[in-house]
Amino acid sequence: MSVVEQAPERGEEAQGLIGARVRRREDGRMVTGAARYVADVELPRCCEAAFVRSTVAHARIAAVDVEAARAAPGVLAVLTAAELAAVRPLADLLEIESIKTPRPPLATDRVRYVGEPIVAVIAEDRYAAEDAAELVVVDYEELEPVLDVDVAIARGPLLHDHVPENVYFRSEFRSGGAEEAFAGADLVVARTLRVNRQLASSMETRGVVAQAEPDGLLTVWLSSQAPFQQRYLFALALGLPESRIRVVVPDVGGAFGPKDFVFPEDLCVAHAALTLGRPVRWIEDRQENLMAGSHSKEQKLTVELAFADDGRLLAMRGRFVGDTGAFAYSAPAGLVDVMFTAQSLPGPYVVPAYDYDVLGVLTNKTPVAPYRGVGITAAQTARELLLDEAAERLGIDRVELRRRNLLGDEPTRSITGQEYDGGSYRTSLERALERIDWGGFPARQAAARAEGRHLGIGVSPFIEGTSLGTMAQLQSGFPMPSHDHAWAAVDLTGTVAVGVPTCNHGQGHATAFAQVAAEVLGVGVDDVRVVERDTESSPWGMGTYASRSAVFGGGAVLKAARLLRERILRVASLLLEAPPEALALEDGFVGIAGVPDARIPLAGIAGAAHFDPGVRAALGDAGLRVGVFHDAPPAYSNGCIAVEVEVDVELGTVRLLRTVAVEDCGTMLNPTIVEGQVRGGLVQGIGAALLEHAVYDDDGQPLTTTYMDYLVPRSSDVSAIEVDHVVTPSPRTLGGMKGMAEGSSIATPAAVLNAVADALSPYGFRVERLPLGPHAVWEGLRSGRAG
Amino acid sequence: MSTRVPIRLSVNGRAHELEVEPRLLLVHLLRDQLGLTGTHVGCDTSNCGACTVHLDGEAVKSCTVLAVQADAAEVTTIEGLTGGDGLHPLQAAFWEDHALQCGYCTPGMIMAAADLLARNPDPSEEEIRHGLEGNLCRCTGYHNIVRAVRDAAAELRAREAGARTTEVV
Ligand code: FES
Ligand code: FES
Repeated sequence: MSVVEQAPERGEEAQGLIGARVRRREDGRMVTGAARYVADVELPRCCEAAFVRSTVAHARIAAVDVEAARAAPGVLAVLTAAELAAVRPLADLLEIESIKTPRPPLATDRVRYVGEPIVAVIAEDRYAAEDAAELVVVDYEELEPVLDVDVAIARGPLLHDHVPENVYFRSEFRSGGAEEAFAGADLVVARTLRVNRQLASSMETRGVVAQAEPDGLLTVWLSSQAPFQQRYLFALALGLPESRIRVVVPDVGGAFGPKDFVFPEDLCVAHAALTLGRPVRWIEDRQENLMAGSHSKEQKLTVELAFADDGRLLAMRGRFVGDTGAFAYSAPAGLVDVMFTAQSLPGPYVVPAYDYDVLGVLTNKTPVAPYRGVGITAAQTARELLLDEAAERLGIDRVELRRRNLLGDEPTRSITGQEYDGGSYRTSLERALERIDWGGFPARQAAARAEGRHLGIGVSPFIEGTSLGTMAQLQSGFPMPSHDHAWAAVDLTGTVAVGVPTCNHGQGHATAFAQVAAEVLGVGVDDVRVVERDTESSPWGMGTYASRSAVFGGGAVLKAARLLRERILRVASLLLEAPPEALALEDGFVGIAGVPDARIPLAGIAGAAHFDPGVRAALGDAGLRVGVFHDAPPAYSNGCIAVEVEVDVELGTVRLLRTVAVEDCGTMLNPTIVEGQVRGGLVQGIGAALLEHAVYDDDGQPLTTTYMDYLVPRSSDVSAIEVDHVVTPSPRTLGGMKGMAEGSSIATPAAVLNAVADALSPYGFRVERLPLGPHAVWEGLRSGRAG
Repeated sequence: MSTRVPIRLSVNGRAHELEVEPRLLLVHLLRDQLGLTGTHVGCDTSNCGACTVHLDGEAVKSCTVLAVQADAAEVTTIEGLTGGDGLHPLQAAFWEDHALQCGYCTPGMIMAAADLLARNPDPSEEEIRHGLEGNLCRCTGYHNIVRAVRDAAAELRAREAGARTTEVV
């Protein structure tokens, strides 16, 4: 056992900074307009790219005429697939059995979705590039588009000739006993749901700036979540060694999943910078983003639950068919959704038997990428809707039904092989019920009904896999090695820097990780600088996605800071001639406990470590900078969302009356940041339930290409959100952190939908399609009434 | 290329004389020619509000204003909100109340909120939610933004009251 896993030493972690509500240090530049996003990167002689994109969903490309574009004013280069022949297509690197559909940076002889890039025009500025792009003529021989997974499987046509039935991935799981359980069940409830196609739609779109230096280094500024992974993907695609590529991530205007990967446009821009010898930039516009950025989450699923008449859940069955779009290329993007749905269907409940089938299907739509709550949201939604239905049919109160099936709070292994580290599954539910005054609801509902108003309430307890390290990846069905590096150093002026493996894009890392290091090293938060988002700053880091940063970033910083602390105490023990155990590190000084005069500032320690040959020799020339790798065991946050709504049965609109979130992410680094994440995810969940849907017409034309059609929640669509905490530190991770950020987006749709169904129970309303916009509510009411 | 049009405008109190393409958007003038990159672009269809600035004292979405339309106007961007040092009460309240995460919507949100408070110094939660519905934030869920606007409104009213008291004395 290494020193890092020992209990905190004396004097360590006494400031109470871990878990303190420290005001975010990054906000000063953001509230004054001084933050710098990728579109703000300014380089001399920088030119801009614009893309010619497919206007049809499925076609052979007969000809592309770029002559007029090449001759247009201000144009520097016009790139087609021919010019990019040396750039290798993007493919996922997962060790899973699937049929790969690598995608070229520009379409070659075929286009498979509206918005697919065909030609890149590089010009002096974006205005000139777009003018020239207008002059490109593409001759299409149209093919029949496939827009529905059932049709895609049943009769095609095929998108890729080597992918039979358009199915590139299959997986199945049989726990044993499910069939018997269903046969002997007192009640089986089943539902087929079509989960809406959604977009992460961060307020900052994608963006990339690339510059080739005369010495051969390619620097890429990227709006990103995972610069190290992206450097590797650039290296593979461009045929360059990693050592010749630097990825720098400026401030990032939100991401929520899709910015983990390299996109075709990124490769075109990098290639253009390398060949033109001038910096090139491309900033995606919103129409490109909504049409062709990346979509997420659409699937068709069928779930069945079997119960005994006392309400015990006996078994589950599920079939999950993911609508991946035209390529499954961006690492696990295409698969993650349905695999996660399948693996997480049991959630926080005891499930004795379970069978599932998963299919990944290609259609003529924009390829998918992960978006907050990946797959788990769909599982949660289906399961919780069915629990409400089962409760009603069994004549058991719906909260009571959940209580009877919830896991105990101790660590356990799910039927799908996931190692839960324990939590507050029961306490969180009870807390949420209390906070929303569940007990008082029947009276509120009855009073409202007497006035002809329709109130409903819903509850949704969740569990959220948050520590996607090597082990959790394996258990989730996606073997993918994970490791993260952090370093910590003291400089000659006695301040601290930590290099972290994560990639902040709104999560407040500069504050939260400084809190961790400051706590361990006995300095102030403002004495710690957090260095990240640059491949030159660290040996490797996986990045920030899947709610992993507190566990992997926080854990790695804790580990590095503890090693550094040990090193500091060794130097001090040489200088003060006292054993390390007798020393205390606080307020930027190392002193001997009980001897007020015997103390040395950190600057003095650093000076000795750098310049005192005796100290250096004693340290084995190790200096005051330590680096350490970190991988973490699986950890699972949990919590519960409860929502009270009013439905207008004339307009079909849903108004949120009360919204409560209870979360338990183990040790919190900064509760203010945690609450911000909870509220942000929750409102995205409301969008998923009620508003957001990327729609295609029958020809495969996307209809939601502006914010007038793709509706992300506005301030007036939502209301105040109460957040409460339960803290159950993970017994397995360093520091007890579990990580968080997705639970509320996972659990909110189910709570909202169940609340709507409850409000409309007099009409026999049943949720079958998402989102539940006014039209869907109205149609549901009509069919309910008719039935 | 099209002919250029001369314009004069004041931005954050500084006079500029420029020649611009007639189709140049105000947001691009501010960002690309004047280097005021605190004004962001989130949609360019006038839906998201990331580009909100003040034109002659009123909030406008600068992605839907041509630079030539700002001829002879006074423009204020987030960089010029205080007209000097320190933070505007809205900026301070956004910071204090954790009303931002990625910060991308923040400048536009603050400029829109400043306009709202100029018209309604004591807005209710409902009025704030409606007043800011043209500004999208994908990160925060709006809760803390609403709180920050209320806090800033209270601070501004207190300052106003303080100023009045001083005048009376
Ligand atoms: S960029 Fe102007 S409103 Fe979105
Ligand atoms: S803080 Fe990210 S969009 Fe508002």
